[in-house]
Amino acid sequence: MRRRSLAESLLSVRELPPALGLLVVVLFFTAQTANFWSPQTMTAITTVASTIAIVSVGVTMLMISGEFDLSVGQNFAFTPIIWAILFVSNGVNEWLALAVALLLAACVGVVNGLVTTIFGIPSFITTLGMFFVLQGLNNLLISGHQLIMFDPSLAMSMLGAKVGDTPFYTPLLWMFVIATIFWFVLTRLRYGNWTYATGGKVGPAKAMGVPTGKVKRINFIVSAVFAGLAGCMQFAYIRGVTQGQGQNYELLAITAAVLGGTSLFGGTGTIWGSVIGAFLLATIQIGLVLIGVPGSFYVTFIGIMLVIVVIANVRLGRFGSNQA
Amino acid sequence: MSDLPLHLAAPVPVPEKTREIDRSGEPVFELRSISHSYGRNKVIFDVSMAVWPGEVVGLVGDNGAGKSTLLKIFAGYQQPTGGTLRFMGKDVRFATPAKARAMGIEAVYQDLAIVDQLSLWRNFFLGKEITRPLGPFQLLSRRRMREEAEKAIAELGLTRVRSADEPVSTLSGGERQSVAITRAMHFGARLLLLDEPTAALSVRETRNVLASIGRARDHGLGVLYIDHNMSHVLPVADRIVLLELGRVVRVIDRGEVTVEELQDLIARRTHV
Repeated sequence: MRRRSLAESLLSVRELPPALGLLVVVLFFTAQTANFWSPQTMTAITTVASTIAIVSVGVTMLMISGEFDLSVGQNFAFTPIIWAILFVSNGVNEWLALAVALLLAACVGVVNGLVTTIFGIPSFITTLGMFFVLQGLNNLLISGHQLIMFDPSLAMSMLGAKVGDTPFYTPLLWMFVIATIFWFVLTRLRYGNWTYATGGKVGPAKAMGVPTGKVKRINFIVSAVFAGLAGCMQFAYIRGVTQGQGQNYELLAITAAVLGGTSLFGGTGTIWGSVIGAFLLATIQIGLVLIGVPGSFYVTFIGIMLVIVVIANVRLGRFGSNQA
Repeated sequence: MSDLPLHLAAPVPVPEKTREIDRSGEPVFELRSISHSYGRNKVIFDVSMAVWPGEVVGLVGDNGAGKSTLLKIFAGYQQPTGGTLRFMGKDVRFATPAKARAMGIEAVYQDLAIVDQLSLWRNFFLGKEITRPLGPFQLLSRRRMREEAEKAIAELGLTRVRSADEPVSTLSGGERQSVAITRAMHFGARLLLLDEPTAALSVRETRNVLASIGRARDHGLGVLYIDHNMSHVLPVADRIVLLELGRVVRVIDRGEVTVEELQDLIARRTHV
């Protein structure tokens, strides 16, 4: 048996098409604007990209195992609201408060996973329900107000402060750490193999002894916890949280994953693809503002691009394969 | 003959010589007076049959004859309401399919064998990954699994497969079956359960799958080959068990009948 040729190997790298897309977008904005590489632009792009990417990493794990999570956007506000209420308003130790908030985020994932796997209903519905539940809770908890922390605590600095003299903020570093961990989990651990198999075809996976229900439930928790954690980073960076934080993030996270080559039907996808997808979204969002396009037009552009990319993926689907 | 469907009219290749099967020892799997009911609806009546090591037994019957129920009993998905099961000479009761699998009973279903999106080696070792512990995690021994999968598949003779990194989606239906059969052999299965493994396959594909079945048999595995059509199992079966309405109506030993008699039997029983 021979090893695959260079061309075949390149074709099978799923991150390559979105990376090329990102390159084209970056070159376009570099040519069109004078200040694309300015520190301000870099800060804006990387902070937007890193929070979307962290949410998207969890969502990607879940999507590869064949399920959706539409509640991540609301969880992105819910978790920091709980954290802030506990330690800003009620003086609870910040780390304890963060742990409690993330634990609650995990509980959201547990409920999503249990309801979906026990009752066998589409996760689209389960997590849509959870979306509304959390939206109501968020409203109840801060009812239109903004929770502000003028004096960032240690935990907040770790989650959302500037990194030295660079234009970058800590969420970017966390994003690389988290993405590296889950890239490792997906490609190098048995659990990653099970995640791909569960989403690929649940019947054979089960027949081969993969605990598919458990895999899905764990990934629901991963998705919920990292959405919550990313929300806490956003809070730490902005030093405030409203119930509107994370609006549309469930859709942006899925969009980033899909732009990065993750299948809507499960079984395929990569972590770095989703990270690249998040950077693609952020670069376009900031870049369009830089060239003077009205900010609200960004979503229109993303919508069109998403559909085109999926059509291209479906067309090219028979080439290129999964991870090695 | 001209009215018969093509696959019945075509000459069926049956080997000239009968292979000797040693049936003096214990069978791999044995059903003793098995009966089964779904509620009040009795579907299996006093069925006794056995599969010896190195033997291919064809289980043939029309829809509703009880093939699927028997298959489920073999694979541990159903527990018979009457009679005893014996595996390697011991009475057994499988609470779950996983228990049956753990003892070496491997069911290879056509669309339940392979996950298309995974590469060949990841499929081959799915659920039985070779790992080394990394703290609380199981780190995949990727190189070892690649090499072992490539070796096993090279022995199987899937020449079209170039590398264990190849995605399974590039393999044909027959090749996937062959991979699944090889995998079962590799992990020490004693009994292979095949449910219509050649359905919807081309002639050449069918030949490849039958070759894989032959190899499994030569390895000393017992093979239960279930099909609604006798002409499918005829080329490889050492014995054919005919099932009708939940009863064994005839057991045909390859040594007992000639090719012509078998053909006649098929012709008379066009509905089986």
